[in-house]
Amino acid sequence: ALGQQTRNMATLKEIQTRLKSITNISKITASMKMIASTKTTRAQRAMNVARVYGKTSGDLVEQAGVQKAESANELLITVSSDKGLCGGIHSSLARQSRKYLAEHPEAPLVVLGDKAKMQLQRAYPQNIKSSFNQIGATIPTFEESSEIASTVLNDKDVVFDNAKLMYNKFVSAIAFETSAMEFYPISQIVESPNFKAYEFQEDVLTNLNEFLFANSLHWALVEGHAAEMAAKRTAMENATKNAGDIINRLTLQYNRGRQAVITNELIDIITGASAL
Amino acid sequence: TRLYASEAAGVPVGKLVVNFALPHESVMANKEVHQVDMSAVSGDLGVLADHVPTIEQLKPGVLDFIGDSGSQKYFVSGGFAIMNPNSVLNINAVEAFKLEDIDPQAVAANLAESQRLAASAKDELTKEAAAIEIELYESLQSALAGRAK
Repeated sequence: ALGQQTRNMATLKEIQTRLKSITNISKITASMKMIASTKTTRAQRAMNVARVYGKTSGDLVEQAGVQKAESANELLITVSSDKGLCGGIHSSLARQSRKYLAEHPEAPLVVLGDKAKMQLQRAYPQNIKSSFNQIGATIPTFEESSEIASTVLNDKDVVFDNAKLMYNKFVSAIAFETSAMEFYPISQIVESPNFKAYEFQEDVLTNLNEFLFANSLHWALVEGHAAEMAAKRTAMENATKNAGDIINRLTLQYNRGRQAVITNELIDIITGASAL
Repeated sequence: TRLYASEAAGVPVGKLVVNFALPHESVMANKEVHQVDMSAVSGDLGVLADHVPTIEQLKPGVLDFIGDSGSQKYFVSGGFAIMNPNSVLNINAVEAFKLEDIDPQAVAANLAESQRLAASAKDELTKEAAAIEIELYESLQSALAGRAK
């Protein structure tokens, strides 16, 4: 290419080093893509089941026709994870969470996962009431979801009626959408228009409230995990492709450089010989 | 206190549709059955089509689904069963296993272990946890015995 410095032995060595390093990186990203691909398949299977479980649990709210109370306290729960290299997963969650908090500056915030916590701590440190980590390495189990639910419900610093679960909805293997899942407390369900049709023992209502909360959280965690695995796969695929493009470009550069060096050597030899 | 329905049901649907979901498995989805017998905190009950809408917390015990092909029994760890006005019965349980998949000897062994733990426990939390385990294993034993009859 015009305007480029003349290739000599030293710059050829540099290109060789770069090539070696980028080839290694592309091997790593390619294997990460394979791993993420397997994890996505499993995570999607778990998500499909969790969706059925969550929808069954949420049917009561649908049938009762629950309305959010006017002056209700709402808790924001950001369902993220500890793991990176997954494209825009965490920044999208952080952006939507910041948008909500800008509109509701007094809202309490619970963050699940270190990645979103890092991003939200800078802008809204005073809203963060509690956070959880050790999330994202494996498919969330109901035991983990109910433990988080239990801790949040028993936390005296976190007072809330409704909850908004900000999570990433799995749209397809290449697309996710940050969405909000609504949680309605049993106190609002009991007030709803169609609830008069139901018979129940009053003493199970508190348990039902906790159960519904854990079920919603579980759905959000499992679906969020599936969205993250798919995004990681895409990110690693793009990284491998980009690395491949750089390798091609550098290889061409290297070969042209090598030929230029050989040509110059030949010219030196020939001019030297003809001078004799 | 038990609160009763103050609104009468609408037009009867005529069939009982069941959704039985676990966090890790969808056991039944939109399945039509005749009757579901369950062990609730408020007592045992059987649900038929167009049963009055009700919210029941499930005890660890047997869920019996009676349909055209006979009865299928599951032992559930606990959860909620909600009968809706549209004759749809939604059951969310945490764990459920078919009775035939449960090993009676393992149950007996675990029960003995829990009883030993309850007797030797020093703190309240361990004692309570052991008591819950004993209740579970005794319930399992009577469920398995009932099946053997």
